[in-house]
Amino acid sequence: MHVDLNSCFASIEQQANPLFRGRPIAIAAYTTPNACVLAPSIEAKRFGIKVGFSVREAQQVCPNIIILAPDTEKYRVIHKQFIKILMDYSSAVTPKSIDEAIVDFSDPALHTLDLELIGKEIKHRLKTEIGQSILCNVGIATNRFLAKTAAGLHKPDGLDIITHKNLLDTYQNMTLLDICGINLRYERRLNINGIYTPLQFFNSSIPKLQKQVFKSIVGYHWYARLRGWETDNIDFSQKSISHEYSLHKKSHDFYELSKILMKMCERVGRRLRSSNQIAKGIYFRCAYTDNNEFHQSKTFANSIIYASDDLYKHAEKLFKDQFTGKTVRLFAVGCFNLSPEDPEQLELFNPKKQQLVKAMDKINDRYGEFIVSTARMLDTNSEALDRIAFGKVKEMDYN
Amino acid sequence: MHLKLQEKVSVVSIFNHKSNKVTPYQIKWQNRNYTTKEVGLHHTIHIGKVLHHIYSISDGNTFFRLNLNTENLHWTLEEVWDESSDQ
Repeated sequence: MHVDLNSCFASIEQQANPLFRGRPIAIAAYTTPNACVLAPSIEAKRFGIKVGFSVREAQQVCPNIIILAPDTEKYRVIHKQFIKILMDYSSAVTPKSIDEAIVDFSDPALHTLDLELIGKEIKHRLKTEIGQSILCNVGIATNRFLAKTAAGLHKPDGLDIITHKNLLDTYQNMTLLDICGINLRYERRLNINGIYTPLQFFNSSIPKLQKQVFKSIVGYHWYARLRGWETDNIDFSQKSISHEYSLHKKSHDFYELSKILMKMCERVGRRLRSSNQIAKGIYFRCAYTDNNEFHQSKTFANSIIYASDDLYKHAEKLFKDQFTGKTVRLFAVGCFNLSPEDPEQLELFNPKKQQLVKAMDKINDRYGEFIVSTARMLDTNSEALDRIAFGKVKEMDYN
Repeated sequence: MHLKLQEKVSVVSIFNHKSNKVTPYQIKWQNRNYTTKEVGLHHTIHIGKVLHHIYSISDGNTFFRLNLNTENLHWTLEEVWDESSDQ
């Protein structure tokens, strides 16, 4: 079963503030004209406003639209309540993103359950336990792919089941781009091989898909997926921790930019240490207003990344080495090659510095983020804000 | 009118022993009393180790975001959205 909250961030804001209900609202990265719309409400979608519109475009289409900045803490709390409700029906719940989750009923002990009834009950509970504005789409099928497809058939507030009886009818009414996982590039690839509709895709043989179209095992995965056989029940472990930030005020001032970079490194470092991990590689990306960009990663065989300022030193060097004074619009910094924190490895790290980092973390845990920080981060309160990355909920604590 | 603020306010709250819910019933802000008509959302956040209860309430015309700090039990008004003043 795939459960997808409708217009999640906007619905939560409409639930919190009754004055917003029934009105077009949108959550945007910032409330400034060039900021990007992250979540339009159902009413705003009726005006044609979509994710990715700029605030200015949204206001041109709908002058009365209310633009709000994201309240990430609020969305995380609702996400946890949402997952908690789902866990009452199966212990195998996989959050796929902040607003969608998979409930696995493949355990033989659960085979007698009426999933349609459960789907209706989940919808009812979301409304009564969280709020009347919280609607969801429920999709039920034999695999994750078809369940997600079913959840997208009747938005908002739909409940659909795909079985062997209506599978072909469902494909009949779809285009290739309606298939989750088929983007423009894949569509072109399918077209080149004479596949123009989902039904033609479904009727393609394994050798054609595997040897001609996708030229890999991916072809077989599509063959199975389209038939409702499970190919996507893979739990990917966390491979990196990163933070991307589209600058509120674009700048070419190296000192100002390095302050933002330091704050981003501190966010990444805090998340790295709170997951009790160390890293052996860093990644840095910088995009300029002239649409050029620079990105580089670096791995370390003999040193580790643990403290935020180590991460900063490497990121700053990568930035400095190529910076020519152009205006920066976006930074991304992250670390990879993660492994569990090991006292022996930490010995590589200066013990005094290790104690200092731990003491600073302890103070920030007790009194709140950035209560103690490096001097370079002064005056960065409105920069590198807390954000929810689409599709990433691996660090969420559900206890 | 949309205001973001950090202002201590006086709040009358009610505990209902049947539903086990605490509701801010009335708030006094700028010498005016506002009676809660609806609690849109109640959620909690941690700032450091301190638990804060956030109430999103409305009296029908005005929306308030209230924060109850559970360490000192002080109420802070964090946001006001009032559309009657725009007309």
